[in-house]
Amino acid sequence: MDVAGTISTGYCAKLYADYGAEVINLEPPAGFATRQLPPFTDGETRASSAMHAYLHTNKLSVDVSALAEAAVQALVTSADLILDDGTDYPGPEVSTGVRASICWFGRGGAFENFVGTDGQIFALNGMLRNIGRVEGPPLIPTGYQAQIIGGMTAFIGSMTQVLAAELENRSAPVHLETSIYESCLCFTEVGVVAAFNTGLHAPRMGINRFPPTYPLGVFPCRDGWIGVTVLTPGQWHAYCELLGMEELTDVELFQTSYGRLQAIDLIEPIMRERLATRSAEQLFYQAQKARIPLARVPTMEELFSVDQFVERKAFCSATLPNREELTVPSVPFRLYDTPPNFGGPVARLGQHSKDFT
Amino acid sequence: MSAPTKALAGIRIIDLSMGWAGPLACRHLADMGADVIKIESCERFDWWRSWEATPEWIEDDGAEKSAAFNTMNRNKRDVTLDLEHPEGHRLLLELIGKANAVVENYSGNVLPKLNLGYDVFRKVKENIILLSMPAFGSTGPWASFRAYGSTVEQSSGLPHLNGLADDPPTMQHVALGDAVGGLTGASALLVAQRHQARTGKGQYVDLSQVEGLFPLASHGILEYAVTGLAPARRGNRSVTHAPHNVYACAGEDLWIVIEVNSEVQWEALKGVVGEPLAGFGELADGIARADALDEAIAGWTAGFDAFELMMRLQKAGVPAAATHTAAAILEDPHLEQRGFWQYLDRAVVGRQPNPSPPYRIGDAPFPVESVAPMLGQHNEEVLGGILGLGADELARLTELGVIGTRPRMPKRGNQI
Repeated sequence: MDVAGTISTGYCAKLYADYGAEVINLEPPAGFATRQLPPFTDGETRASSAMHAYLHTNKLSVDVSALAEAAVQALVTSADLILDDGTDYPGPEVSTGVRASICWFGRGGAFENFVGTDGQIFALNGMLRNIGRVEGPPLIPTGYQAQIIGGMTAFIGSMTQVLAAELENRSAPVHLETSIYESCLCFTEVGVVAAFNTGLHAPRMGINRFPPTYPLGVFPCRDGWIGVTVLTPGQWHAYCELLGMEELTDVELFQTSYGRLQAIDLIEPIMRERLATRSAEQLFYQAQKARIPLARVPTMEELFSVDQFVERKAFCSATLPNREELTVPSVPFRLYDTPPNFGGPVARLGQHSKDFT
Repeated sequence: MSAPTKALAGIRIIDLSMGWAGPLACRHLADMGADVIKIESCERFDWWRSWEATPEWIEDDGAEKSAAFNTMNRNKRDVTLDLEHPEGHRLLLELIGKANAVVENYSGNVLPKLNLGYDVFRKVKENIILLSMPAFGSTGPWASFRAYGSTVEQSSGLPHLNGLADDPPTMQHVALGDAVGGLTGASALLVAQRHQARTGKGQYVDLSQVEGLFPLASHGILEYAVTGLAPARRGNRSVTHAPHNVYACAGEDLWIVIEVNSEVQWEALKGVVGEPLAGFGELADGIARADALDEAIAGWTAGFDAFELMMRLQKAGVPAAATHTAAAILEDPHLEQRGFWQYLDRAVVGRQPNPSPPYRIGDAPFPVESVAPMLGQHNEEVLGGILGLGADELARLTELGVIGTRPRMPKRGNQI
């Protein structure tokens, strides 16, 4: 049961719903805040949020004002899991289940009362300062990425406790708290520990430059973009052969990523020139055949037609309350004996209230 | 309310994964009490110990000095088995026979080459769970393609949503796909474990790390799905909010993020900034005159310490954050007060910070109970304790090179 309706609780509950749990959104009369997030499928009327649709397939919607207090109490106490955002929720507690609060910063600590945003989380976790041009300003990753990571992490924490009950390792109710800030330290924790030992931290080296890996980045080809990552000596040799850069193959300094990083000014102009005349699509397949991890970098327009993603049904359809279909990302993992939902219906506000009165 | 620390006591996982994503997935379960047995070999050790061995590196205990390996593998046990040797192959299958799940993140062709795979595992444990987590999933034309965490980010389309329109599609991280793959892997493993706990049945779990990144790109994917237009890349600007940018503060390369999302926050910001914003009206005026607004704020922030300014703005209810360095994250007062970094001694490297699990029950984090294992540290404990091998047998296996506690120069390149 989701009583908060944030992006984090919505994504956490989405994983439960897509893998078969009955998820009830206990919404205020005005609906969850995610219903107001752009883009809207019906343009100017702003009545149907695509982000809300993505987050809330296969869930039930109950308008809390339509239920008597006793009915709300019965719902909450019977739940295996209650998701909230850490603010005071006046409802009753779970009886034997899990209450999971997903907060920006968690209870206690100097930032406890901070107002959170996704950009701030990436500032504090040390990731943001390494994105963008050398001269700055550093770039904020777009979208709701920190909140989604928080939801994903809360799924792990809460599912652990749900499983604990199944394993008879837990019988009492628990109140679990997930900090979005601490969740997003998963991206940088290794660098922090490395810096603890070396006293060094990686400087911002420019767009798509992340030491110590080089070459790394997204480069223009004649018909699109190619993603490059070359790490091992074997990959470097094969990459030089692929691009006809044999004169660079055996240079001793270039056998390690660190060495190549010191020679960016020499390597990159040659590499860019060779890439610019090639087809990204062809390069990708040629590289993978040679065991070099190059990537196509599909635009949003191209994403839906990439053969790998089409074959795996990586995108599916959410059915909106007005019965229109919206293309959304599918589930991130497949369990073949207990197949997940691929897409599904999105409830209108209060659609299932009568089922619980 | 209280809960036992070891929520997953009784679950045993054989961790064949290496690098970041797979070990992070298993770390979550190890932190919660699962018995995670990491399998390496003296020649094909986890490549986060190092991409390759040299005599000097071996002599210098290099395998035990990797911050990356040591951060990702706490609370686990470590066994070395040469899986190319029949004895190592047999012992792995015997261990799997006593486990709930196996996790692997090899490229698609590695397990078959070793005569291993789900069908083989099921013969020794019918209800085993196998979590495979290749970059593009286990099916489809790209199933065997190679990738790193960077390749995963590139393939997800996410770079087309970041940065300025005049710049190339912009990546966020050296290996974004790995950390997210680890979270997705832990989620997948837990769902399969619950099904196993309820029904007694195992299953094959297929995870595509790229598909795991699509939720992070969902804002762009949905915008295209709705409008049919590629989302514009606006750098740090937002069309609906202002200010929404990163501003220089006093000192070298020190910045503050300010993201105002409501009229209330806007008024609070104007109250703190004062005169430089006096010429702006309501929030809509700030959005309409974003260039002038950014200039006014940048002129104001330039004289302040980023951390102090963050605290001042947040006290007034304005979303703001300093761009932490690695050192600042270690000294972050919030994390310190919450006990996030747990300092433990480890052989070879000494006292090390360990990040806590990002979820907790009560005020204190779950304790990190054991540091990352040394190579083969638990050979005797696991092979003796679980499989019942005696000292003579362990000595014979050591003699054969099937097990060991020191890296060896590989006959071929280390698999990565």
